[in-house]
Amino acid sequence: MTAAIRVLFFALFSLAVISPARAHPHVWVTMKTELVYATDGSVTGVRHHWAFDDMFSAFATQGLESKEKGKFTREELMPLAKVNVESLKEYDYFTYATADGKKVALTDPSPEYWLDYNDSVLTLNFTLPLKTPVKAKELRIEIYDPTIFVDFAFDKAAPVQLVGAPACKLDVQLPREMTFAEGKKLSEIPADQPNTTMAWGAQFANKILVHCP
Amino acid sequence: MTSVHRFGVARGALLLLCTLLLLGAVDLALAQPFGMTRPQAAPEVGSFVGWILAKQSEFYRMMSGTIRAAKADGSADYTLLGISFLYGVFHAAGPGHGKAVISSYLVANDETWRRGIVLSFASAILQAFTAIAIVAVAAVLLGATAKAMGDTVRVIEIVSYALIIAIGLRLLWVKGGALLALLRPGAHEHHYRHHDHVHDHHHGDRHHGHGHAHDHHDHGDEASAWGHAHGPEPRELTGRHWLRRGLSAIVAVGLRPCSGAIIVLVFALAQGLFWIGVASTFVMGLGTAITVAVIATIAVGARGLAGRLAKAKPGAGMIAVRALETAAAMVIVAFGVLLLTGYMVSERLIGV
Repeated sequence: MTAAIRVLFFALFSLAVISPARAHPHVWVTMKTELVYATDGSVTGVRHHWAFDDMFSAFATQGLESKEKGKFTREELMPLAKVNVESLKEYDYFTYATADGKKVALTDPSPEYWLDYNDSVLTLNFTLPLKTPVKAKELRIEIYDPTIFVDFAFDKAAPVQLVGAPACKLDVQLPREMTFAEGKKLSEIPADQPNTTMAWGAQFANKILVHCP
Repeated sequence: MTSVHRFGVARGALLLLCTLLLLGAVDLALAQPFGMTRPQAAPEVGSFVGWILAKQSEFYRMMSGTIRAAKADGSADYTLLGISFLYGVFHAAGPGHGKAVISSYLVANDETWRRGIVLSFASAILQAFTAIAIVAVAAVLLGATAKAMGDTVRVIEIVSYALIIAIGLRLLWVKGGALLALLRPGAHEHHYRHHDHVHDHHHGDRHHGHGHAHDHHDHGDEASAWGHAHGPEPRELTGRHWLRRGLSAIVAVGLRPCSGAIIVLVFALAQGLFWIGVASTFVMGLGTAITVAVIATIAVGARGLAGRLAKAKPGAGMIAVRALETAAAMVIVAFGVLLLTGYMVSERLIGV
């Protein structure tokens, strides 16, 4: 009987604990990303162009003043762009970079950021400079929201571009399926223990890999 | 064991099995995150959560299309309502603290499944109502920006999470006190001594019948602390005033609007179809209520089973039941604290 009670405990705990562990997208972003290189071949920044879905675009522009109804100029959108960029700081701009396996620090966006509004779609344009430009044999950029409130997907036509890069090889990876070995490893984590080895949202990372000579 | 008793236990066991299967499916999905595919892709077979999330995303995105269609010719009204309903059902099955808090509350309070359903529906409808009220007042009347709405939601969030903590603490105080009283070494002998004690003092007193309550009060031990300060015995907590008491849980859970509903409402407003957004939000709430009610009923069923098992073994069984209730109260407190401190993010309107 005590075993049954213990099982119940576990059941209720699981019910309570599991549920909020993940979120669900309410915002969809279609992105184009550029990696900016200096003349010496070091990468200096990540330039993002994020197009929001139409519902979020309508939501975000609610109540904004504009001269022409249903149209917004960059100037009119500037206050919103400022709020966007400032709130993204808390989420590390959803951008995570490593150079040859080492974490690369990104600084706050350079002041030239703006929002565009075309065909009811809001697009946020901003550049994240690297704290110190790096030359790396392997540069890896991952873009994802660990809570999956925001769903990121690369633009199909022009996902990633290298700007001014030396002869580097670009590889764009869409969120992938897990390999069998990884799945097995994960399934071996006892169900009542938190998964500390693999971040949930990271599984949906959009990855950019750049190999340079 | 009588046949009736056996039937009861068997039914309880079946219910437990169902609960575990459901949770097992959730666990399995948790252990295999690759199962949760991107919304556009087909989910892994057997990934319950992945499937739920994929469906939910799908319905959510369909709403934008149907609202546009409704603007064009008004024909998509019913489609939109259908989609909203399904979105509500799947939305509540996925993440969200609402069902966890409601379920834990029901378990801690030993409420009936009927009350569970009432609480689930009331909180879901209140949630829909808050979303509509915020958008109606802020966006429609005041022409406020998304940022202003986001700030409003954040304030409501804090109040809601604080309320959850308060409810949890109160339950913890009452249920934990009851557990401590049971766990006290030699609780029974102690109890008898009290009776003697009271008896000695009030020879032939007409209050003799109330001796138990009085002696707790007189001694000022843990049991009296909760008994005195909060009045009702654990048993009495499930009495007549359950709805009034449940109101705190309804408000705590229902106060915080769903971000999705707010976005849909504003989008509908932008299309000049605010009323269709309102209808959609209420139908969404109905869908959410059904899912929460199902989960709450399962929790109540599991709790009922524990109670039945406990009856079979009075001493240790009661301790286990009180421990279960105390644990449920702790879960509520933990939820509130994690939500309030931001360690657990339940839907946050980002970037506005």
